[in-house]
Amino acid sequence: MPVYERGYTHWQPSGRRASPAWLVIARRGVTEPLKRRWLFLLILASWVPAIIKGGFVYAKLKAGNMVDLLGGSWTSIDPEGFLRFLEGQRFFVFVLLAITGAGLISTDRRENGMSLYFSRPLGLLDYIGGKAMTIVGFYCLVTLLPVCLLCLFAYLIAPDATGMDLLLMTPLRTLAYCLLAGASTSLVLLAFSSLGTRSVFVMVWWTVLVQGTETIGGIAEGLGRGGLQAMNFMGQYHNAGSLLFGAPPRLEVSPWLSLALVLGWTVLALWVLRRQIRPVEVVS
Amino acid sequence: MLRFPAPKLEEPAIKVNRSRDGQQYGIQVSALTFAYVTEPVLKGVGFVLEKGAIGLLGPNGSGKTTLLRCLLGQVPLSRGEVSVLGWDMATQARSARAGLGWMPERGGVIPGMSGVGLVAYMGELSGMPARDAMQRAHEVLHYVGLADERYRSCQDYSQGMKQRLKLAQALVHDPEWLFLDEPTSGLDPRGRVSILELIRDLAWNKGLGVILSTHLLADVEAVCHEILVLRSGELLARQSVDTHARQAKQVFEVEGFGNEDAFVADLRALGAHFEQDGRLLLVTLDLSRLPGAHTGAGFDATAGINAILQVAAAREYALRRLRRRPVSLAEEFYRMVEA
Repeated sequence: MPVYERGYTHWQPSGRRASPAWLVIARRGVTEPLKRRWLFLLILASWVPAIIKGGFVYAKLKAGNMVDLLGGSWTSIDPEGFLRFLEGQRFFVFVLLAITGAGLISTDRRENGMSLYFSRPLGLLDYIGGKAMTIVGFYCLVTLLPVCLLCLFAYLIAPDATGMDLLLMTPLRTLAYCLLAGASTSLVLLAFSSLGTRSVFVMVWWTVLVQGTETIGGIAEGLGRGGLQAMNFMGQYHNAGSLLFGAPPRLEVSPWLSLALVLGWTVLALWVLRRQIRPVEVVS
Repeated sequence: MLRFPAPKLEEPAIKVNRSRDGQQYGIQVSALTFAYVTEPVLKGVGFVLEKGAIGLLGPNGSGKTTLLRCLLGQVPLSRGEVSVLGWDMATQARSARAGLGWMPERGGVIPGMSGVGLVAYMGELSGMPARDAMQRAHEVLHYVGLADERYRSCQDYSQGMKQRLKLAQALVHDPEWLFLDEPTSGLDPRGRVSILELIRDLAWNKGLGVILSTHLLADVEAVCHEILVLRSGELLARQSVDTHARQAKQVFEVEGFGNEDAFVADLRALGAHFEQDGRLLLVTLDLSRLPGAHTGAGFDATAGINAILQVAAAREYALRRLRRRPVSLAEEFYRMVEA
């Protein structure tokens, strides 16, 4: 704007390319929370297991199979080993998603933000897609990114060990797993977020869903009632993921049943979102 | 001798037309009926608006905000037709919204963002490239008077600053029409005046269409040239803001001394009605019965003044005071709504 004109002027488009609305929402959803230093530190902390695993893989290369006795699955660089690694990241996934995802829709509902969003040229899919991609982004930060870096590291120090499987197949399997599990998890969390206006309550529901069902699943396993493990929310993702990674089932439940359950609650979440998200609050 | 080159002045930007086909379209609403649940909130509303400053008046619950939401395409339209900027809002609302700015009454400030961040974000969502949106966010925040506060978290803004911020986010993409829902709600008198000045400038000098929904009649009088009055979901009236000053029946305040009986009798012969208000005699004249009172835009009160002066001169009634009693928009509004 020229110096002499400080009043209202009309916008002259520069001709640059504009981003689609869902990408704008996702980008803002990821970058805004990252301005909080403690969250950034939490993400760094979530990479510590990957660093430890990298150390074990390196030690195994140098010291041979003796390290397996110490490291167990930490030294494994086969697909099952990476699935176990992803399973081990569930605490970070749980915490990070609760922090970054709980308020995504509930805050908009509380602050009448949806009215602002839907006064712009965007639709329901843009809105849900952008919010979901925010969560998927954080999900991938603590799962996909460390796995890909680990695969690259393992390939660089031991290129002959498993070759293309390490460089290509495992990252691709992980990518597919993270996108599917991340999308499903994000939609479930968004559905919770759309049901309330306070992110604290959304976090409580999320904790009950993840930790509560895991506890029930653990008790069921202890009591020898393996069928009840179908109630373990996060466990179903890992169990269904065993199909993708060609690994033995993680629970005493068929991986296909786990996959069906995951699809079932994803569809349910979409239905809730479809009902809950609208620019106008309607009180009947 | 040193010579400095003459400064290069940029050409003022020309407004981009967001209407369909690049034509000049306004707002057309016909037979619009809308219900959130079962009870209709809008009943057969219809009007055509050209760009300008339009006041949307009505008591609480009359359907003002709902009408604005229909114009934004935020609610599914089933009965009636709404066309904004040439776009059918039932099927092409997204295209139309690129040329519309919306300032909601409640909320509308997303916490955790700075003022400039929020405005730029809204600009990007309106289809602006990121750099354009950021540059434009700085400009509009300067325009609304938040230049010094733009990097502060918008959660910490005062009510007046929040209202300005909401106006800025509605302006960032340079819309054709601006829909403002109670823009002065919760503001102190000074804040209210400054927001109204901004809105007036936008509507009268910058070429934006403005629809101002409010129940504060003074706001409408200060900004708008035309009003739509809603009552119970029906469009009760549409008229110019100063219509009430050009109506046929006008009241004049008269105070004087002399032969009052003859003065009153002569005026009564002209069809006048009288009321006493303390020392003042209130004379209601029907200007349609006076020759030369009717002009193209209504009735000229000067004809009534002249008629009273003539009668007073003829009857030697010495006038101490004579003026047309101003009728406020509020009186006119309540008369319409309570009718």
